Amino acid sequence: MTELKIAGSTSTPTIECTTQPARVYMKGDSYPENAFDLYQPVLQWMEAQLASADALTMDLELVYLNTSSVRIMMDLFDTLEEAHTSGRQVTVNWYYDARNERVAELAGEFKEDLSLPFHILPQG
Amino acid sequence: MHSIDLFALQQRYTEQGILLCFNGPLSSSLIEEIGKALRNHMESQAITPSSAMDVFGVYIELTQNIRHYFQTHAWPEAVATVVIARDEAGHYLVSAGNRVQIADGRALLERVAALAALDKAALRAKYKEQMRAPRADAASGAGLGLIDMARKASAPIQGQLQELADGSAFFSLTVAI
Repeated sequence: MTELKIAGSTSTPTIECTTQPARVYMKGDSYPENAFDLYQPVLQWMEAQLASADALTMDLELVYLNTSSVRIMMDLFDTLEEAHTSGRQVTVNWYYDARNERVAELAGEFKEDLSLPFHILPQG
Repeated sequence: MHSIDLFALQQRYTEQGILLCFNGPLSSSLIEEIGKALRNHMESQAITPSSAMDVFGVYIELTQNIRHYFQTHAWPEAVATVVIARDEAGHYLVSAGNRVQIADGRALLERVAALAALDKAALRAKYKEQMRAPRADAASGAGLGLIDMARKASAPIQGQLQELADGSAFFSLTVAI
């Protein structure tokens, strides 16, 4: 299983998908016009990883997401939720600047639809 | 060559509290650049990171909706008018407008009016429902954008439609944060 790294830009986050242990790390703002194109490889990487690995951690330092990104993020979380339901150890940690409660609200709206361990962690 | 009355423009901008405005072809890189200027401006003001993110988010949804409209309607050029102002009470007003087909404009106006009539709890429920709706079009937020803006707004969102003699119309939307 290879690693997947996508450099960030003004409108897209830094994305690092690494193995042993399986981890997806994303940091930054996400507002590309077509978020589907950006996240599709991440979704595929996660699906392939979850086919063999029994654990996957997602560490997020995402700040602003446009609605196009929100929709595809939900697909990523749904994939994790499915793995969680079938007994795999998946965890989401979403770190945010404690001064910006909007990020916690956004993360909270994802979390409320999921049963997997989902931690929303204020920093600073 | 006609001369441009900058003083009259300046007076008009000042009178209406306009901080930033743009009129012309809207590219994705220009959306980013104006967005950076907007963020820099807000950083210099004493506004909370949450409010700054709401203003920025509405600006992004509005402008990306316009580009998406042009892309899906085979319009020759994505020309838009974008205005960011601040009213006497300190609220940010984010507005954007563009040419549309009259029928599209009327349909949009109806959607905006329907969303403007909903309270925050109803908007939240609608947002959640739309998030799970099947998407016809992978590129867009699939109708989430308008609901998202209505949720961030501090007053009902306002649409305006100016029907033009050539059979098109100018649609604009203003969101107060």
